[in-house]
Amino acid sequence: MKPIAELLEKTLSKSPYWAEARYHRRNSQALQVQKGLVKQAKSNLTSGVGIRVLVDGAWGFSSTSDLNPQALEKALKLAIECAKSLSQLKKTQVKSLPAARLARGEFSIPGYDALKTMPLEQKLQAVLKAEEMTRKNSTLIQSSTCVYNELFEDKVIVTTDGANASSKLARNEIKLGAIASKDGEMAESHESVGRTGSWDCLFDRSSLNEMSENAAKLAVDLLSAPKIPGGTATLILSPAMVGLLSHEAIGHTVEADFVLSGSVAKDKIGTQVASPLVTMSDSGTVQGIEHSGGELLVDDEGVLTQKTTIIKNGILNSYLHNRESAAIFGVEPTGNGRAWLYYDEPLIRMRNTYIEPGNQSLEEIISSTKDGYLVDCPLGGQADATGEFMFGAQKVTKIENGKLTKMYRGATISGQAFEVLSTVDAVSKEFILDLGSGYCGKGQPAKVDAGGPYIRCRATIGGVQE
Amino acid sequence: MSQPLKNEKERLEAAAEKLLSYAIKSGADAAEICGSYGLRTKISLEKQDYHLASSDDGYSLGVRVLRGQRQGFASCNSTEPSELKEAALRANEIAGFSPENPHYTIQKTENIPTEAPTQLVDPALIDLSIQTQKDWTRLMVAEATKDKRFKLNEGTLEIGTSLSLILNSLGTHQIEADSAASWSLMGMGVEGETITSFDYFSEFSRKAQSTPEKIVQSSKRFVSEVIANLKTGSSQSYKGLVIFTPRAVLDILISSLSYHLNGRVVAEKTGRWGLNDRDKPILSPKLTLTDNPWLLDRSGCSSFDREGVPTRPMHLIESGVLKDFCLDHYAAHALGLSSTGHAAGGPSSLPTVSTHTLCVLAGTASKKSLFEETQKSQKSFLVVHRYSGQSDPVTGDFSGVAKGAEWWADGEKKYHVQETLISGNLFDALGKDLVSVSNETMVIDSDEESPTLLIDNISVTGG
Repeated sequence: MKPIAELLEKTLSKSPYWAEARYHRRNSQALQVQKGLVKQAKSNLTSGVGIRVLVDGAWGFSSTSDLNPQALEKALKLAIECAKSLSQLKKTQVKSLPAARLARGEFSIPGYDALKTMPLEQKLQAVLKAEEMTRKNSTLIQSSTCVYNELFEDKVIVTTDGANASSKLARNEIKLGAIASKDGEMAESHESVGRTGSWDCLFDRSSLNEMSENAAKLAVDLLSAPKIPGGTATLILSPAMVGLLSHEAIGHTVEADFVLSGSVAKDKIGTQVASPLVTMSDSGTVQGIEHSGGELLVDDEGVLTQKTTIIKNGILNSYLHNRESAAIFGVEPTGNGRAWLYYDEPLIRMRNTYIEPGNQSLEEIISSTKDGYLVDCPLGGQADATGEFMFGAQKVTKIENGKLTKMYRGATISGQAFEVLSTVDAVSKEFILDLGSGYCGKGQPAKVDAGGPYIRCRATIGGVQE
Repeated sequence: MSQPLKNEKERLEAAAEKLLSYAIKSGADAAEICGSYGLRTKISLEKQDYHLASSDDGYSLGVRVLRGQRQGFASCNSTEPSELKEAALRANEIAGFSPENPHYTIQKTENIPTEAPTQLVDPALIDLSIQTQKDWTRLMVAEATKDKRFKLNEGTLEIGTSLSLILNSLGTHQIEADSAASWSLMGMGVEGETITSFDYFSEFSRKAQSTPEKIVQSSKRFVSEVIANLKTGSSQSYKGLVIFTPRAVLDILISSLSYHLNGRVVAEKTGRWGLNDRDKPILSPKLTLTDNPWLLDRSGCSSFDREGVPTRPMHLIESGVLKDFCLDHYAAHALGLSSTGHAAGGPSSLPTVSTHTLCVLAGTASKKSLFEETQKSQKSFLVVHRYSGQSDPVTGDFSGVAKGAEWWADGEKKYHVQETLISGNLFDALGKDLVSVSNETMVIDSDEESPTLLIDNISVTGG
C-alpha cells in the first residue's frame, strides 16, 4: 500500500487547502442458496479514490476509479471547484478542523489473510450443506435459504494535516432463513451472525449446524404460536433486541449531525436520560469481544477510533462526532466518520453500540418477573430523532410467575427510547454483541454491530385488538 | 446525444465487447454483460445549511457466464483490459465450481417496440450549469427554511446522466441513456418541547423546464405535512375501519403483494399463488393493479430490463382477478413461460425480479364519501399516511408504527398521532376487508401510484 500512500501524498501536496484522499479497494463475494439451488455466486471488485477538500469554509468532494496521477489531480481540482462554488452559499463556514488523534502506519484486523486464502468453493460447499440441513430438519420446512457475504477492505487515508494510515480488514456474515408451513399457516424464521475476521470467527458461539437447527426449529414452533395481544407490558429484551434499541433508538439521536438538527438528545449532556443501571457505549473495539461486526481501528477521516461512553450510569455523557461536528462542539473527534465506498463522503456513523453488562443472571431476572415477556430474535427496526422507536421480534415468550410459558409469534415493540431506558430495573451479566450481520442505512450503508446484556423494562408491544 | 455522452457510450460499448470476448475466451459457453456509466453532480444540505458539493463519474461492468448449466458472475468498476480480463476469469472460475441448475439461461432478446419511450434524455439537463443547479437548490432551501419550525437535517439536489447497456453472446445489444434531476429532504418539526418524527421525501424529474416548479411544490407540500404533525394527541385502541392514503397503501400493502407476483417466488412455490390461479379471483373485485414501465415522468421508466428484454405495460391483477406474474428469463424457464421483462438489478449483481412502476387504479368512491362512510360506522378512526414496520411477505401479516397518522373523531380531524401501532393482514386488507377505493390517485416519490383505500378489521394500538 506504500506506493498508493505516496501517490495520494503527492496529489495532496498540490492542494493549497486542507484535503483528504482516501483510497478504497473492496472485493466482495456473495453466495446464496435456496432449496438446494445456488441463487447467487458472485465476486465484485470496486476500487478508487475519493478526495475531499475544505475551501473557504465549505466542503468539496470528487472521486475517480482511475489511479493515474493525472486522474487524481483532476479529481482534486474538481473537488476544489465544487467547494468554491458552495462557499458563497454557506451560512455557517466550517472552521478549521480540531486536533485529532490522527492515525499513521498500518492498521490491520486479524483474519483477513485466512479468509482470503480459503477457497470460495469451500465456502459454497458449507453454505449448500447448511441450507440442506435447515430444509431437512423437519418435513414442515417448505423452503430455506442460506446467504454468505464477505468484504475485503483495503484502505489508505492521507490528509494534509498528518493522517497517513493504511488498513486491512475482512467482514463476513452468514444468514439462514426457514419457512415452515402446515394447514395453510406459514411461519418464517432467521438466524444470522456477522464478524470482522476469518471464517472460523463466524462460529465462535454456535456452529453452522446449530444455526441450521435453530432456524428450522423456530420456524416450526412459530407455526403454532398465537399472535400476541397488544398493550404496555414488562419486557425482558435479549442482547440482540438491546442492540437494536441502543443503535436505532439512542445511537442515532446522539450522532452529532442529528443533534445539531434538533434531535431529542440536543442540550441533554449531563442530564439523567436513563435508569442509573444503564451505561451505553459506542466503540471501534470492544473489550473482551474479538472480531465484532463493527470493529474498526481507524475511521474514514484518518482518526483513531476510541470508546465513547454515550450514557454513563443513566446520565447522557457524549455525542458521536466526526471532525466537523467535534469542531462545532469543541470536543475531540470520536472516530465516527465513516464512508461506505470510495465515492461516498464520510458521515457520522456508529461502530459497535451496546449497553454495558450488569450483575444479575438472566435466570434471576426471569424468576423475579411476575408478568411479562421475553423478547428475542429481532426483525429489524427504525427510530426517530424523537427517540420514538419501533422494532419487530420473531419470538416472544410469556413470563408468568417467574417462569417462561407460552410462545407468541411476530410482535412489534415500540416506545420512546429514553423513557423505556428510564424504566430499566434489571441488567444481566450475560453480554453478547449479536447484530454483526446488520447494516445501518443513512444515505449510505455501514457495517455495524450492537448488543449488550438482557435488560428488563416497560414498553408497548403491538399486537391484535379483539 | 451530446458529444461527451457519445464518447462515454463508445467507451462503455468497447469495454463491454472486450469483456464479452474475454469471458468466451476464458471458457464460457455463453455470456452476458451488464454495463453502466454514470455522471452526477450533487449539492448536499445538512444541519439547516449547505454542506457539500460533489462531482463524480464512473463505469461499472458485470459479466454473467454459463458453462453448461453452471453460472458464474463477477464485476469491476473499470474499463481497463487487465481488470476486465480478471473479472471474466473470476466469473468463469465461479461457474466452474457452482452446482448445475437447468434454469440458468442467456437468450437473444427482441427489439424494443416502437411505442416504448426512447427519449429519456433532456439535453437541457445534461448541459445544466452548476449555477442553475445552485439556483434550484436555493429554491428548495428557501421552501425548507420559510417556516422556522421545520428543521432540515439532510437534503440533496442531484443532476445525473447515465447509460445502461446489456450485451450478450447471442446477439442482444440494448443501450439506453437517461438524465434526471432528483432531490430529497429529510427533517422534522420542532416547536418548544414538541418534536415530530423524522420525515423524508424524494422527487425526480426528467424535464429541466418543469423541474423548478416541481421542486418548489414538492418541498412546500413536504414541509407543511411535517409541521402539521406538531399538533399531536393520542389515539385509542380499536379494531375496525382505517383509511390508508396512497403512500400507506404502497408502503404497507403493495410492496408485500409484489412478493407474491414475483415469478421466482411462484417457481419456488413460496408464495400464495401459482400458475393455476391465473384468471381466478384472488383479491377484492375493487382492486386493479398494473405495472407500467413506459411512464416517462416516473423513475421506473425503462424500455428494456436487466437481461435486455423489452418491457411493456401489463395488468397484474384486474378487478381482483390474477392476470399475470412478473418473470425474468430464469423464472420463465422454470415455469415454462416467456420473460415479461422484469429482470432487475445492475452491473454488480445477478438479475433478480422486480416490478417497474406499480399503479393501483382508481375506484369509484370520492374521497369525501370514504370519510363519510367511515364516520357512519365509527365515531373515531385513524387515517394512515406513513408507516415504519414489519411486513411479512409470506404470511401477509404486517405490524408497525403509523407515523403522523390523523385521528378523526366526531366528523373532523382532531390532531396527528405521532406514533401508533397498526397491524393486520395484507390478503384480508386487499380482499374481504377492502371497503372502498377512491376515484383519484396520487403519484408517490415520482414513481408508484395509488388511490386512497378504506379497509376494515385493522388493529390499532394507541399509546
